[in-house]
Amino acid sequence: MQTISTDVLVIGGGATGTGCALDLAMRGIRCVLVEKGDLTHGTTGRYHGLLHSGGRYVTKDPQSATECAHENAILRRIMPHCIEPTSGFFVITPWDDESYGDVFVANCQRTGVPVQEISVAEMLRREPVLNPRISRVFEVPDASADSFLATHSVALAAREYGADIRTYHNVVDLIRVGDQVMGAIVEDLRSGERIRIDCAYVLNAAGAWAGKIAAMAGVTVTVVPGKGTMVAMNHRMVNTVVNRCKLPSDGDIIVPIHTVAVIGTTDVHVPDPDVFGIEPEEIQFMLDEGEKLIPGFRQYRALRAWAGVRPLYKDKDVASDRDIPRTFKLLDHEARDGVRGILSIVGGKWTTYRLMAEQTVNELARRLGNTQPCRTASEVLPVPRFEHRAHSTVTVSPDPAAQTPHYWLGKPLALVESEHAAGELICECELVTRERILAAIDAGAHNLDDIRRDVRMGMGPCQGGWCIYRTANLLYERRCANGLTHTNANEAIMHFLQERWKGLTSVLWGDQLRQARLDELIYVGVLGIQYLRPLAEPGGGLVTQHPAIATEYVQA
Amino acid sequence: MYDTIVIGAGLSGMMAAIGRAERGEKVLVLAKGYGATHWSTSCIDLLAGCDDPFHGITQLAAQRPHHPYALAGPTMIEGGIARLRAICEAAGYPLVGNLNRHMLLPTALGALRPTTFAPVTMIAGDARQLRDGRPTLIAGFAELRDFFPPLIAANLRAQGIAATAAQLAMPPVGRQRDFSPATLARLCEQPAFRASLGEQLAALARQGDYARIGLPAILGLKHATEVVRDLQNRAGALVFEIPTLPVSVPGMRLYQILEDEFLRLGGRIQLGGFVQRGESISDTLVAVFSEAAAREQRHAARRWVLATGGILGGGARATPEGYVRETALDLPLQAPAGRAGWFAPRFLNEEGHPIFQSGVRVDERLRPLDAAGRLVYDNVMVVGGALAGFDPIREGCLEGAAIATGWMAGMS
Repeated sequence: MQTISTDVLVIGGGATGTGCALDLAMRGIRCVLVEKGDLTHGTTGRYHGLLHSGGRYVTKDPQSATECAHENAILRRIMPHCIEPTSGFFVITPWDDESYGDVFVANCQRTGVPVQEISVAEMLRREPVLNPRISRVFEVPDASADSFLATHSVALAAREYGADIRTYHNVVDLIRVGDQVMGAIVEDLRSGERIRIDCAYVLNAAGAWAGKIAAMAGVTVTVVPGKGTMVAMNHRMVNTVVNRCKLPSDGDIIVPIHTVAVIGTTDVHVPDPDVFGIEPEEIQFMLDEGEKLIPGFRQYRALRAWAGVRPLYKDKDVASDRDIPRTFKLLDHEARDGVRGILSIVGGKWTTYRLMAEQTVNELARRLGNTQPCRTASEVLPVPRFEHRAHSTVTVSPDPAAQTPHYWLGKPLALVESEHAAGELICECELVTRERILAAIDAGAHNLDDIRRDVRMGMGPCQGGWCIYRTANLLYERRCANGLTHTNANEAIMHFLQERWKGLTSVLWGDQLRQARLDELIYVGVLGIQYLRPLAEPGGGLVTQHPAIATEYVQA
Repeated sequence: MYDTIVIGAGLSGMMAAIGRAERGEKVLVLAKGYGATHWSTSCIDLLAGCDDPFHGITQLAAQRPHHPYALAGPTMIEGGIARLRAICEAAGYPLVGNLNRHMLLPTALGALRPTTFAPVTMIAGDARQLRDGRPTLIAGFAELRDFFPPLIAANLRAQGIAATAAQLAMPPVGRQRDFSPATLARLCEQPAFRASLGEQLAALARQGDYARIGLPAILGLKHATEVVRDLQNRAGALVFEIPTLPVSVPGMRLYQILEDEFLRLGGRIQLGGFVQRGESISDTLVAVFSEAAAREQRHAARRWVLATGGILGGGARATPEGYVRETALDLPLQAPAGRAGWFAPRFLNEEGHPIFQSGVRVDERLRPLDAAGRLVYDNVMVVGGALAGFDPIREGCLEGAAIATGWMAGMS
């Protein structure tokens, strides 16, 4: 077995883990990060994409609110290409308690969340589809964020600083000698090879899976996997984040992100972060709630539904899972459980990932005798190559708006038009060109689902009808010299069709059901993919079928 | 006032319309837009999962008395196919095949797909011929996003066919980008473009001693047979087309041939008319109303053919609450009760998904019935994908069922 040694082994390739890897590497601490799936494969890749102003937490979780407000300003500075400055409204609808408005403003002021009341007329001027019966509106600096791109940018920076980031590496066991954790045995899911990683510290940043990792070291960490279901709608009916002004509850937020608007979320305790279903009632409930914010919401086309599991750390008995503080906690297992060489970072949310990493690495650096200060709040993150190059070079479009470092809705189209790349569009719904797909493949995307996360291929209304075929062929042509066979390419298509199907069935009706049938006509009727089943097998480094990364949706 | 109004311009609707027009009736085809022809291969699939399609149909009809094939019966199946073939033959675009035998034609993934009749431009790709051991070339254009030769060739090789892939250089044309299948089809009708293509194919064929060359199905819109013949002569090898992702150029050809025939017979076509509701006197449908740009339009006829398709065609539409509605006349539909029964957990499971068998239940004369089995309209016939109780894509009978029931409505 190959053995490598490092200072810190980070487990988990979500926002928190990659954030820690970057902070460690920036301070000159050697680190290896292992993630069992792709980057953002867990909860980071399955959230609604809100950059919190903190407004959501001002009343029930003031510490989180203050942290969010602080980090919000930092992230806008260090990753502008991942953030669309949409702004956000908290609105009081006829179904909400009028008196909460004043409480909300007072708590915003107390927690440092910038807030300003605007008139309903002004709200309707900016967002004409919102319910005119809304009585009060408060504006806060919410924004939408691309958590896939952000995590890739952080990982890219970490690699530039020397971090060793390994996706599709699953922790099989932690090595514990007496009361000391010495490292881990990990399996490379692409090759099946096992590697031993020796380290001074294991940092458990596995999010909803942190309890499973801790158990390997013989310590108990109770993480409550809180399932949140979200639905993406095929229109940006609003260009501002819209929250109900009330205590957080189900279906009370709409986030415009890229080409869609996401309504979220539910919060249901699930026993296992790998096994959960999406209930039809959850979807219908959220569409009904959407109707209160935007009359006619149900008439828009629902594109897909998905669920992420919040990594809520349960410290003591709390009444409801939504009452568990959204702030984070660094667990020192030496003090807590008498086991040395392992820390767990649990709880938290995407918006505060950097702060979590800073505090975690402060502690690790202190123990390792490293005195370098944290610099993650000031260094601007690099842009991965599969993202439009115009994010880094500003001369592509004459439109001044295209030259802002921030993401904005018309930007991908402006760039495709300025490059005359319409004929090179592999995914027409999301305006993804051949060049970007190839860049994602070259950057290490393993299967079609990875490419989807990298460049949004297959995330538009046609749900991959055309681009799955095209992308699978590009992947095959690019990789067939490196051991990717036609059987692997066939498997990649079948795997991705199934992944899409999981997210689709709960929102299939109307036009989207018709679209699904057209996709069936294409893959079954025109391409005859079912006749290739004997010629499809996992492999070629695609990691399509490994049980360690399978999410089982329970058929509702 | 029309004798017959056919609602829907897909294969079943056009067959019915041609049948009625041949009998001297005044016929209108009223449709929201083109039908599934433009999405499909334009091969005539009769039935998958059997060796002898006609025998398979007979067996199926005996087992499933409500299946469209059982309703239509062998005379209509044979008669409809014969008429369609005669129309295509006369248009210089013959459909080749045999009722008792499948061809296995390569798809744009390199799978071998069974079908019963195929345009003459495709038949040199039949796997029985490809497996004769002589080398086959699969060639395309890098500029075309809907056809990738390397994976097709690799999958064919794994199935015993000596296939190799190559990319052709785009002949000099006025444009430098955005080559869709339809754009390329138009270019193929230009002699200079074809000459350049032919030269490249000839050079490749000489080099690799290829007996056959598979190309994307973009070889002309109106004169595909001549384009293929011309390329064969220039290349010194047999040329066959492989259907691409939609929009389907062979589907456009087939639709155009049917439209030309229908117009020749004196019929009228109105596209862009989305039928929203009907007007009836007891069990007689007297008129329908279509949504047009600015106003509703009323259309009256003595007899009606409903050929609006199922979920795919837009004739049936599902609601989030779990109901399925017939969109044109609000006919009662046979559908799974509630969302829970709509889908199977695996997309590519063999049986398909129950929701897609939703449709109108009919009597032995294709007239719509309600849930209790009572006749809804005496003068309406339902054909093709709008019918209940079968899955045309999964059963591999999309064109066959459309032709059989469409022709039955045209003849009875």
